[in-house]
Amino acid sequence: MRIPFLSMFMTSPFDGMQEHAEVVKDCAWAFQEAVECHISYQCSRFDSLRGDIIEMEREADAIKRRIRGHIPKGTIMPIDKFQLFRYLREQDSVLDSVEHALDWLSLRPDEKYPKEIQQDIFHLVETVVDPIDELSKMIVEARKYFHSYKEDQRIVVKDIIRTLRLQEREADRVEHTIKAKIFNMDVDPITVYHVVRLAEIIGSIADHAENAGDMMRAMVAK
Amino acid sequence: MSAEYLILIIGFVFGFYMAWNIGANDVANSMASAVGAKAITIRQAVFIAGILNIVGATFIGSHVTNTIRKGIVSTDVMSDPHIALAGALAALLAAALWVSFATWRSLPVSTTHSIVGAMIGFGIMAGGFSVINWGKLGAVALSWVISPVFSLVIAFVMFKVIVRVILSKDAVFERSIRFSPYFIGIAIFVVVLSFLFKTPLGKKFSISMPMALILSFVLAAVLGYIGKILLRKFLVEKQGNGNGAEEVFRKIQIGTSCYVALAQGANDVANAIGPLAVIYFLVKTGTIGAKVPVPIFLLMFGGVGIALGIGMAGKRVMTTIGTKITTLTNTRGFSVDFAAATTVLLASKLGLPVSTTHAAVGGVLGVGLARGLEAVNFRIIFQIMIYWVLTVPASAITSMIIYKIIRIFY
Repeated sequence: MRIPFLSMFMTSPFDGMQEHAEVVKDCAWAFQEAVECHISYQCSRFDSLRGDIIEMEREADAIKRRIRGHIPKGTIMPIDKFQLFRYLREQDSVLDSVEHALDWLSLRPDEKYPKEIQQDIFHLVETVVDPIDELSKMIVEARKYFHSYKEDQRIVVKDIIRTLRLQEREADRVEHTIKAKIFNMDVDPITVYHVVRLAEIIGSIADHAENAGDMMRAMVAK
Repeated sequence: MSAEYLILIIGFVFGFYMAWNIGANDVANSMASAVGAKAITIRQAVFIAGILNIVGATFIGSHVTNTIRKGIVSTDVMSDPHIALAGALAALLAAALWVSFATWRSLPVSTTHSIVGAMIGFGIMAGGFSVINWGKLGAVALSWVISPVFSLVIAFVMFKVIVRVILSKDAVFERSIRFSPYFIGIAIFVVVLSFLFKTPLGKKFSISMPMALILSFVLAAVLGYIGKILLRKFLVEKQGNGNGAEEVFRKIQIGTSCYVALAQGANDVANAIGPLAVIYFLVKTGTIGAKVPVPIFLLMFGGVGIALGIGMAGKRVMTTIGTKITTLTNTRGFSVDFAAATTVLLASKLGLPVSTTHAAVGGVLGVGLARGLEAVNFRIIFQIMIYWVLTVPASAITSMIIYKIIRIFY
């Protein structure tokens, strides 16, 4: 039943944003497992994990489209509509980068990664998985802030944004270490290129998470 | 059976039908924010609204009604009992049909404006355009703009104050208890003033403005303080809960919603019963003046009609509200209720026929603009406004047609 009075109340975009963040979070563990599986070449589940992530990416895309499609002109929200869209784009890019990284890995199924570099790649994956976890936490806390407008709550959100920034810096450092190492190893140029690009793609996951944090900072600005 | 008695019986049927529609259409106004904010359950809302509407209609509703609602048409057209009977019946049916259509299409329209429009239609048919009081009609048009704007501003300010004084601070529960006398007090102040000036029973006391202000102030202070003591006594165990403020406002909000339901019964019953009283009086005495007395059984008849409308259609509306308005918490709901009640009071003091529907819409938008709701669709107001504006001509034209048809037979 359509009642104009009730039509004023719309589905909250925060519901969708949180749902989207949860999907992104679910991807994180699958991503970690898939990378470890591929690089240590001790398991055969890479393709099925990659398939799961492609599926999750599709699901997240649908959520993103649903949010965008349900904010008509004249919607009043506690935040600017375009800030929300930009935030969502960055959160979605996290997932795109995850998918991209696995695509990149899949291009060389039998690649033999030098032992010295394997640990660094695992470490890099770990450093980008943490920010993904922070994203969903950030939305929950931001929602609480928009409910009460309490300064303490704003600080909680700002702390998460700071954590995201620090995590991105750490990911940059590990990415740089991998590049420096591989260029100084006696391996074939294709492997060098493959690893360098892989490190960049994985590193970009943390970049997008940080960008999402920046957008959130703008949203909670007084 | 004479034609007059037949008209009286038909009048009762249409009157009841109109009352039923008022209940079905307006139920959302009084209880929407309370149900949305989960202050009361759907079942409780339907029950409370039904009972309070009967009580409001029977005991507070006017025992005297203007022959023409809001004096929009000159009473000269009523001098011929034949025309008056046909006109009252046509107006009643036309208004009922429009409100019924609105209820079917789920559109929030003003029942007062429907009956006003229907009276205009009949007036034009019976006496030409000269009988219309254009000033009063202008006031109706003005109310389309003033009531949502007033309400929007009041709700905006009220919500900002709640955020500034309570929500944004530490020890939210303690602060909401500490400031509760002010919020309860200001609500009581508006409620008492509304009761004195807006309800027919209150008007009977004919208390002067300064006296009314003093009385409202004293009552507000005393009841606000008592409210604080009661809240502290009953809510002490919720102290640990982070949502302390919402708990406090939940209790206050039940009070404001009940008031809206009561006032609605008192004021809106005349929309159904006014024309019926005219018919009743004409059939009984044969003549009519500018005012007619309304017997208490008619008021009760109207009240029961409204309550039945609420009971039958209300649940459907409430269920939609309960699932749809999930972001309207108690602090937000209180702001909307308070804004609506205050707007209705202020506007009626200015002599504008406002409806709670219009005020409630403005209130929700006000809270939305104060960044209190996660998403509100502002544009819907234009859609709603179209129906507000359409109400008067639509019921006027329907009334003209029905009047002509009745005149063929009578």
